[in-house]
Amino acid sequence: MNIQAPIKTELTFADYKSDLKPVWCPGCGDYSVLSAITKALATLQLPREDVALISGIGCSSRIPAYTSVYGFHTIHGRALPVATGVKTARPDLTVLVAGGDGDGFSIGGNHFLHACRRNVDLTYIVMDNSVYGMTKGQASPTTESDWTGSKLTPEGPGVAEFQPLEIALSAGANFIARGFSGKPNELVKLICEGINHPGFSLIHVLSPCITFRPEQREYKSMVHDGFGGFGFDDGTPDRREAFRRLMDDDGYSCGVLFKGNTPAFKSPTAAPASLADMERKFAL
Amino acid sequence: MTGFKDMTGVPEFLAHAITLEQEAAVRFDELAGMLEVHNNHKGVVDLFRKMAHFSRLHLAEAKERAEGVDVPKLAPWEFKWPGDESPESGTIEDAHYLMTAHHALTLALASETRGYDFYQGLADKAADAQVREMAQEFADEEADHVATLKEWLTRYPEPESTWNEDMDPPVSVD
Amino acid sequence: MALNSVSIALTGSGGAGVMTSGQVLVDAAAKAGWYGLMARSLGPQIRGGESAALLRLSPSPVQAMDDCYDLMLAVDWGNIERFASEIPLTSKSIIITDPEQGDVPAIMLAKNPIVVPIPLKEIAASVPQGRVNMVALGIVAALAGVPEEFCIEVLAAALKKKGPEALETSIAAMRAGAAHADKVQGVPKLDAAVKTDKERWSITGNEATGLGVLRGGVRYVAAYPITPATEVLEYMAPQLPKLGGCLVQAEDELASINMVIGGSFGGVPAMTSTSGPGLALMTEAIGLAVASETPLVVVNVQRGGPSTGIPTKSEQSDLNIAVYGLHGDAPHIVTAPTSIADCLFTAQWTVYLAEAMQAPAILLSDQAMGQARAIIDRPADVAFIGQRLKPEMTDGAIDEGYLRYKVTADGVSPMAIPGMKGGEYTADGLEHSPRGTPSTQAQHHQEQLDKRERKITGFDYGSHWAEIEGDGEIAVVTWGSVTEQVREGIDRVAEAGGPKVKLISLRLIAPALPEKMAAELAGVSKVLVVEQCHGKQFTKYLKASYTLPPVVQTLNRPGPLAIRPYEVVAALNALAATSA
Repeated sequence: MNIQAPIKTELTFADYKSDLKPVWCPGCGDYSVLSAITKALATLQLPREDVALISGIGCSSRIPAYTSVYGFHTIHGRALPVATGVKTARPDLTVLVAGGDGDGFSIGGNHFLHACRRNVDLTYIVMDNSVYGMTKGQASPTTESDWTGSKLTPEGPGVAEFQPLEIALSAGANFIARGFSGKPNELVKLICEGINHPGFSLIHVLSPCITFRPEQREYKSMVHDGFGGFGFDDGTPDRREAFRRLMDDDGYSCGVLFKGNTPAFKSPTAAPASLADMERKFAL
Repeated sequence: MTGFKDMTGVPEFLAHAITLEQEAAVRFDELAGMLEVHNNHKGVVDLFRKMAHFSRLHLAEAKERAEGVDVPKLAPWEFKWPGDESPESGTIEDAHYLMTAHHALTLALASETRGYDFYQGLADKAADAQVREMAQEFADEEADHVATLKEWLTRYPEPESTWNEDMDPPVSVD
Repeated sequence: MALNSVSIALTGSGGAGVMTSGQVLVDAAAKAGWYGLMARSLGPQIRGGESAALLRLSPSPVQAMDDCYDLMLAVDWGNIERFASEIPLTSKSIIITDPEQGDVPAIMLAKNPIVVPIPLKEIAASVPQGRVNMVALGIVAALAGVPEEFCIEVLAAALKKKGPEALETSIAAMRAGAAHADKVQGVPKLDAAVKTDKERWSITGNEATGLGVLRGGVRYVAAYPITPATEVLEYMAPQLPKLGGCLVQAEDELASINMVIGGSFGGVPAMTSTSGPGLALMTEAIGLAVASETPLVVVNVQRGGPSTGIPTKSEQSDLNIAVYGLHGDAPHIVTAPTSIADCLFTAQWTVYLAEAMQAPAILLSDQAMGQARAIIDRPADVAFIGQRLKPEMTDGAIDEGYLRYKVTADGVSPMAIPGMKGGEYTADGLEHSPRGTPSTQAQHHQEQLDKRERKITGFDYGSHWAEIEGDGEIAVVTWGSVTEQVREGIDRVAEAGGPKVKLISLRLIAPALPEKMAAELAGVSKVLVVEQCHGKQFTKYLKASYTLPPVVQTLNRPGPLAIRPYEVVAALNALAATSA
């Protein structure tokens, strides 16, 4: 038997995919997001075993099993705390979080706020299709208030839309960007930047639901590069400026909005001590 | 977003050719996979598998050409595709769970045509003579595929407009 | 009474400093060589309100409250009616009262105790900057026979930061109080402390729980504050970084339990601590830990329920939610310490169980033991360290074909940890195949349910599943903090020549171990169940899970009134008189 020196072969994006076939409807935008995530991992050449992809519940939250990295498909709304646990317990890992608008902004809304302000080094990819797909098409927090497509809210939800980017900026997220599933290579760039940027990164992805929101096929003609007249890559480190750009956002601006300078969350450290040292405190 | 972008030379051209075929292969497998799960027309899945197979053959060819060439490593967003993705990656949003062989062939034909246009564009307009020459070879091959797919398509005429009618409501799954 | 001890209640409005006096007294008594216990009774106020330091001192180890108090010193009588019932007195009890605070309220005179007026405030005023609580300390220490030198030693340590003047003032006030001690007669004298070179500890149940989980290997904690569980977390927070771990404060209990799941998924033994309302919020995620086979420990320091209930007072009424609170068939582990000292062992053992079985474990402590401080002999070191079964690696990678949820004989499957090459899998709350991929197939559901049950029910829990003492036709089956009072009750029955009684205090609440219980109940014809719960949750659980003898009686009461040894004696005598 020939003994060969181990060759470090480069991983391609296909190496980051599992052989499991998605349950997503054919045509769903989430396929492209999956593709973008795997391409981002391949671009950064992250060892599969050192990456964890954490999700909640919903169509897009099925994503971890379709990759070949460590994954956790958790419960509805709780992807961010689970991911926070993974990253704070294992700072050596690259931790991505994925999910939908209902999972992240409705049931998980409080965790979203606190993940932004805690600023743990996570990259949160939200596939926003403004609908609950897995329960047959109800309005989500990002659904238009007059959308009458659901039997649950036949007159429309009647509630103003949740503004993920404004809220992330207010709450302290350190990197904020929007991408579109129909432009997966641009999305790859945003995900790579999000991973490389310290602290909490939000990548808001417009990902059409062709089953319950077929009109979202039009996203393709509505998206445009950059916020407030700036280019795709021209994120600002200035919060005031970022807010200003957001005020001019039509919801279809794609690119980097904000690149903050806040250091990522770090657990306190202390000089090592043994359990025996600690027990001495109780001794009389 | 379409438009011609020239290559700096053969190495960059090959980087594109390799990636184009690799991404096409994975995409066709993905399309086959999604329809295996959702679609009961066996022919559609087989067709996409076949397309993935052809893409892999081309990938091998392109890699052969690249032997000894210092092919640059490009990040996905650095490629000079005419559109948003590599041209032969079948468009995901054109997939449908009730699609027939006709639709699958149309989708495949569109991607092969984009591939042909990409290569022919370079064959016509590239500044580098070697790139023009190599691109023409690739374009000719794509032209064959386009012709084959067109021929197949005559055997699968467009179905009636009710092809995507679904008598059942969607299912609640989570 | 069998046990030589003195019980003292120091009461006063919050802020009067009775808790501090109590703490100094119990620590000084400990330094003098005695054992002791100090529980707290607090009102709902953050500052002020009513408070009582409830002490019992003895030359022998003691972790149970006695029947009544020998001595009560009231700095004032503010709001006494709210907790008078928690301070039972007899005609032999002595009340020290400051005449300036008005008449002793009638509610305290019901049993006709001896009342001794001492002008506490006036005495305090005689010392520049003198404090009433130090005067009280001086009187009570002198009456209990705690030598002054030890009180000074404890005070010196406590007032280190405030400087020598503060200490001098306190000593002066204490001595001024002690000078009045001879006005009081009839306080039980403690036998001399037995000289021993055994190491002794002063520790609360919540601290012992925290130390126990650290000993068991926990290095990741996510925390959300809640009474009366916060001290577990506060104790651990500064310790964890010293051990290479960390504690993260979460935004709510939904987050804390899910962070714990994340930390454990990352391979770090993890826990959180909460009380009833928090546990209720956590139940969905604990189910995820069951399904995804993620080990973790949830410490629940029980308080009065339901809903917000009585946050500052003890009860044993979260048994049902701990055992039955998860949706679906969700086998998991529920444990309970049997005393303040046992919080250490049970916490350590619980981490071991959770890690060994890759399952969530709920440890049910309660306010009575969690917030009480005891002087105990240093608990023995035990070998239980959380050890998770992991896949083997060859040449830096797990062999191909790794199955995270492989169906194994004992139900435990090797768990890959992120960082282990070749072990990449997706943990899931959806039912799954052995590989971990989501599945709706009947066979997968059946075999995964079977394995998750098998690993819990088939585990070898050894002898630790219960504290078992004595033998007899009568058995007391109990759990949690009431165990100590039961033990004392049984001793008194034996001393009085009554029937022999066996004690079975369950440390392992779930799973039930019917064979082990059957072996222990062989020859037992009557059972007394003792529990601090209005709805008799423990009795009902025992009846549902075990075959009990035909005669089963229950001594139960909701919190906050402790079940006292004499009540156990009475219940045992009544049971003995019942025909089988």
